[in-house]
Amino acid sequence: MIIEVSGLRKSFGDNEVLTGIDLSVEDGEVVCVVGPSGSGKSTLLRCLNRLEESTGGEVTVDGHRLTDPKIQIDDVRAEIGMVFQQFNLFPHMTVIENICLAPMQVRGLSKVQAQERGRALLAKVGLAEKENEYPRRLSGGQQQRVAIARALAMEPRIMLFDEPTSALDPELVGEVLAVMKDLALEGMTMVVVTHEMGFAREVADRAIFMDGGVIVEQGDPEQVFTAPRNERTKEFLNKVL
Amino acid sequence: MNIFTDFRWAGVIEFLPQLGVGLYYTLLVSVVGLIIGFALGAIFGLLRLSRFRVLRGIAAVYVEVLRGTPLLVQAIWLFFALPLIIHYTLPSLVAGIIVIGINSGAYIAEIVRGAVQSVDNGQMEAGRSLGMSHHKTMLKVIWPQAFKRMIPPLGNQFIISIKDTSLLSVILVPELLYQGRAIASNHFNAVEIYTTVAVFYLAITLTLSLVLRGVERRLEAHS
Repeated sequence: MIIEVSGLRKSFGDNEVLTGIDLSVEDGEVVCVVGPSGSGKSTLLRCLNRLEESTGGEVTVDGHRLTDPKIQIDDVRAEIGMVFQQFNLFPHMTVIENICLAPMQVRGLSKVQAQERGRALLAKVGLAEKENEYPRRLSGGQQQRVAIARALAMEPRIMLFDEPTSALDPELVGEVLAVMKDLALEGMTMVVVTHEMGFAREVADRAIFMDGGVIVEQGDPEQVFTAPRNERTKEFLNKVL
Repeated sequence: MNIFTDFRWAGVIEFLPQLGVGLYYTLLVSVVGLIIGFALGAIFGLLRLSRFRVLRGIAAVYVEVLRGTPLLVQAIWLFFALPLIIHYTLPSLVAGIIVIGINSGAYIAEIVRGAVQSVDNGQMEAGRSLGMSHHKTMLKVIWPQAFKRMIPPLGNQFIISIKDTSLLSVILVPELLYQGRAIASNHFNAVEIYTTVAVFYLAITLTLSLVLRGVERRLEAHS
């Protein structure tokens, strides 16, 4: 198991957002996490690279216990790519500089090596001609594809996606999902928090439904979406589908 | 009374060399003082955002004390009171530079803190999630964006501090106003000399405004 979560709890003040999560993800597996807003799905994802500190339980990623306070978290995060809802590109850098920064700073790549890798990734996400643009000159869909390329430039073992298409205009969602689908087909381990049920059904190996800080139901996406066993899952799917 | 004919404006020319000396000291104190002020401001501004309470506390005390007392009092204290404690009188030029430095530093610390805090938290998260340390993300991602936002308020502070150097005449720094006062009290030409002094200050601050506008425009064009 590349990700192992057991008894994970997370509170913000008095508000307990995660109330005991158990989850394991296999190497190469694509897991989609769905659920109503406030269900704790983004918080769960952010606990997987310790952007949020858990308040209880265990999280082990790629053999590293994240809940161990002595762990070198930067080394672990270098192996975990993350894609944000708001893209979070660095606005003062060009596209290629965005992609090259961490490989040079963290992996010690030379500028030439980093740019070579960056250009290959830009070609892969279909933005080869945009390397010298600044992010604000790109559409949301293009920005998100750059953000994916930036994460991939670290050659991570796992990719986390936090509602990657939620901030996009509807007509731009497809281009981002297409890149993610390619990545899934290449065997990348992916945990995707999303509202895109179509993507989850088509690409995911497993769907997880969360509500009220717990995993309510999980299994084959086809089964979870078409024949949910739990009442809350049914209710949610009725609203969104 | 006619201000153009009743005063000896042409007579000012004779005193321009002496006012030039004053201008030199005004610029010297301003430039060195503001370099020190920017360094202090950057350090204490970042300390105010530190994880450690003690460091935040030290920075807060520095800012509140220096911002909460008049610059004139700080100058007089440093030049006339401190010597009674340490038995050593700072040269007035050094004391003047220190006062401008520590005083502007307190205001600049607040500018730095505000600018760093104004950068979206997602930028830090993006840097950290790529495996970069807090320190490295600060340096490569947060600081360049914050710096751009600092420029307008920094320009404002620079202009204020340059004008504040005139207060240093009280501790005998031979700057513009000090020279002007020396001339005016000997030659009874207060209107001519103090007007000229005012024009000199205006020339400095207008030049700085223009330079800053240029810098802002260049940074704007870049991103």
